[in-house]
Amino acid sequence: MSRLLGRRTLLALGVAALAAVPTFANPYVVFVGNQLMLYVILAVGLNILVGYAGQLAFANAAMFGIGAYGTGLLQVHFGVPYYAAAPAGALLAMLIGLAMAWPALRLSGLYLALATLAFAQFTLWVFLHWESVTFGAGGFKVPPPSFAPLPLPSNLGIYYLSLLAMAALVAIAWNVVRSRIGRAFVAIRDGEVAAQALGIDLFRYKAIAFGMSGLYAGIAGALHSALLNYVSPEGFDLFQMVLHKAMIVVGGLGSLAGSVVGATTLTLILEALREFKSTQEIAFGALLLVFVIFMPDGIVAALKQRLQGWEEPLRRVRGRPGAAAGAEARP
Amino acid sequence: MLAVAHLNVWYGVTEILRDVSFDVPDGRIVALLGGNGSGKTTILNTLTGLVKPRAGSVLLAGEECAGLRADQIVRKGMVQVPQGREVFQSMSVVENLEMGAATRRDRAELRAGIEDMMGLFPTLARKSRQRAGSLSGGEQQMLAIARALMARPRCLLMDEPSAGLSPVVVDTMIDAILALHRRGLTILLVEQNVGVAAAAADSAHVLQNGEIAFSGPAASLLDNPEVLRSYLGR
Repeated sequence: MSRLLGRRTLLALGVAALAAVPTFANPYVVFVGNQLMLYVILAVGLNILVGYAGQLAFANAAMFGIGAYGTGLLQVHFGVPYYAAAPAGALLAMLIGLAMAWPALRLSGLYLALATLAFAQFTLWVFLHWESVTFGAGGFKVPPPSFAPLPLPSNLGIYYLSLLAMAALVAIAWNVVRSRIGRAFVAIRDGEVAAQALGIDLFRYKAIAFGMSGLYAGIAGALHSALLNYVSPEGFDLFQMVLHKAMIVVGGLGSLAGSVVGATTLTLILEALREFKSTQEIAFGALLLVFVIFMPDGIVAALKQRLQGWEEPLRRVRGRPGAAAGAEARP
Repeated sequence: MLAVAHLNVWYGVTEILRDVSFDVPDGRIVALLGGNGSGKTTILNTLTGLVKPRAGSVLLAGEECAGLRADQIVRKGMVQVPQGREVFQSMSVVENLEMGAATRRDRAELRAGIEDMMGLFPTLARKSRQRAGSLSGGEQQMLAIARALMARPRCLLMDEPSAGLSPVVVDTMIDAILALHRRGLTILLVEQNVGVAAAAADSAHVLQNGEIAFSGPAASLLDNPEVLRSYLGR
């Protein structure tokens, strides 16, 4: 019975449920479902960087914004169609993420947190004050993408595009963390000096982690701009960063399933508190505190203890989940 | 096997190592001793590319390693067992061993290497699925050594392997080092514990303030009151 409540079963059911939502739900629920999928992408990308590679970075919301602004501005200023502008916006976020691996080679812990936070604030400043390009605090409208010849209105097209992107990005992350790359991330997190002494190229793997995280946030940003048909700086501020962090802490650091669980939990809380906007930040701050103090490994750790199928080994497993660690060592 | 010549290392405006030269002959164990702050760990970090020297050469089997990146030096066959064990706490024993072979690609070789380590360290074989962070101090030290051996080093650099271990576990550690010696491995053993150096090494160098102050057979260290008093604070 507990196997039926395993990670894979629930994730498959979740994807199936999300695919079915537009057939019976009203537009508001469809919109919330779409936002949930974008938050899953954001949380998975951030968890790769923070939870797996151990890089305490605070620029995820800025990367999200760069993806959204890159996509939107290319459409508005140069008339680039959405299907070319979106990959370009995501790629821009990835390249900026890659560039952040340089300071991350010299900085760690609090210093890296401060440097990335400063970068995030600088990005927000650019969004706000470079009015001739970014349209300033008021933001700008972006044209809705067309899904012709598919018989889909723009909102449903974006919904299914987000679902495809989320499924693909979670699957890619799942394969990466179980590969040599994922193990190198965890090695760097657990002991940077030891990892380096064993010949693990710190710059290469930090660049992969920052680049992946930037790409995920950029893709979420590109989808976000099409979801709202509007881009403005307030969607990418410090609150947004706290929200992403809260998702991975509540779900479980260093766990992809945790990213999904955290993003789902926080999106639902966000919606429940939408009527009381001013209480959202307090609620998230309190939630973060409670989890950091009483449940630092997140919801997923509790699930792992109680249910089979929530293990996340750092290697590919054939057969029964959880039977792998050490299996290769047997003569 | 390893020839270090006229090594000079500075941290900013402070000279840490001054004209350090020594050899580690093929298949031998050479100990490097000294008190806190004498420059022992800096030598190891320089040999493995974690610190760049200002001058000097580091020849491994005739190939220059000074100034290379850490991963390049590991590929050439010089691997460090870091101080304080530093196993990857959240990984299993086997996953730690796999990380030791991070510079190698052949999966059959990887499996053979893991089996070899399990034979060499039976305790690790019994706990292969266990998380490294839950092992005892001695087991973690064994794992750190086994992990470094997975890179198939020609020269193993060990940074204070006896630090923080109980006397019984230290004896086991010495046995393990001697077992590696019998396999023909060249070892540079950095230690504060004169007893460990005397029991395991063939020859020894004593560092003081970044310079080699004494060189001689390791077994003679315990009989040399001047070395014990002046350089090792005993």
